[in-house]
Amino acid sequence: MNISALNPSAVQGLSLASSQLEPAASVQLSSLQLAYGGKPVLDRLDWQLLPGQVVGLLGRNGVGKTTLLESLLGLREIEDGRIDLFGQPLAQMDDAMRARIGFVPQQSQLFGWLTPRQLLAYFKSFYPKWNQAKVDGLMSRWEIPADQLISKLSGGQQQRLSIVRALAPEPDLLVLDEPVSSLDPIGRRDFLRELVEQVLDRGTTVVFSTHILSDLERVAFNVAFMARGKISLQAPLSDLMDSGRRITGLVSRVDAHVRAHGLQVLSRRALDGGQVAVLATGEHGLMPEGLVSDSLNLEDLFAELTQ
Amino acid sequence: MSEATVFNINPGSPEPIYRQLMEQLRRRVASGQLAAGDEIPSVRELALALAVNPMTVSKAFSLLEAEGLLERRRGLSMVVAAQHRKARSQAERAALLRPALVQAAEAARQLEVEAKDAVDLFRKILQGETR
Repeated sequence: MNISALNPSAVQGLSLASSQLEPAASVQLSSLQLAYGGKPVLDRLDWQLLPGQVVGLLGRNGVGKTTLLESLLGLREIEDGRIDLFGQPLAQMDDAMRARIGFVPQQSQLFGWLTPRQLLAYFKSFYPKWNQAKVDGLMSRWEIPADQLISKLSGGQQQRLSIVRALAPEPDLLVLDEPVSSLDPIGRRDFLRELVEQVLDRGTTVVFSTHILSDLERVAFNVAFMARGKISLQAPLSDLMDSGRRITGLVSRVDAHVRAHGLQVLSRRALDGGQVAVLATGEHGLMPEGLVSDSLNLEDLFAELTQ
Repeated sequence: MSEATVFNINPGSPEPIYRQLMEQLRRRVASGQLAAGDEIPSVRELALALAVNPMTVSKAFSLLEAEGLLERRRGLSMVVAAQHRKARSQAERAALLRPALVQAAEAARQLEVEAKDAVDLFRKILQGETR
């Protein structure tokens, strides 16, 4: 695994050096700061999403994922920091920039007194592009009643409608906050396929948060872990699974092994009896006597990296 | 044999999805279900059928190409490489089991399961007992 990819300062340096050649990052966040009641939710948070990346955002309940996603869209006022979308400061958001963004909020905030048909006609008027064929296809495939009041639709139907609305303008950046929480497994799979098609056909940049790790594992090539007000780690999931191991044993032995192999420690958890569990990446070599090494699935990584 | 539906993946495993796909393709070629010149599904077909990130699928294909198992034909389609004309020998196929068994052996040691019990269990599983 390319360890430098895990080091935020190295990533930063790389993006600066290549900024002349590469297209601008879809999302670039620098030192975002936001506190609620004196408690920091975003604590000098840095983050970057490159064009075409599909990034799964992971973090414990209440860690601030929704706050982060809403902040990067300008839906919440931050106290300090800088947000650029497509290389343009968010503060200068204009209609052209707005049209490039699709957002599916956690709670659908759709207009209950309209029908889906009316709602979509209304939104269509704001966008320069609107893929009506896609809308019609999804409305019928996902069995959303077009002429019933939105307030009378089920939670799953409202969520689907919210997804249709977000996909219709063919956005370059899709921000999805728990987009499938009300969908059944079949509905979720169908939604994931739609997402994959977007990525294949349009190279859409996607960031989404979900607690359904199996969905995230399928669709996200990169995963970002949020903890204590920061993005603590972002890396290709397959790299983390390939080279990450949880090493458990006596503190002195674990540390000696980490040093001997030059492993990079991503998390550390003290256990009873002078033992420690360390998540480390690198070339692990043979495990010495007395140490236990485990391969990790996404759930294990989540547990270790979101403490 | 080129339908995408014969592939399946198992999220939640410590094995990344790209390696699960590589393993399935290697097994299909080793057993002769896929032979030299057979076309395999495109990245697009497989990514959509499995609802997985296209980069994950192309990572698996590229690594298998580097390994010599797949060849890129003109255009985008990939085929099983020419040297895999027929199914491989029993011994070569057994060698493909090795990574899975090494993992199982590691787990057995950690659980301090006796070698004899572990082998008995494997025999039962081979004979179709699933629990």
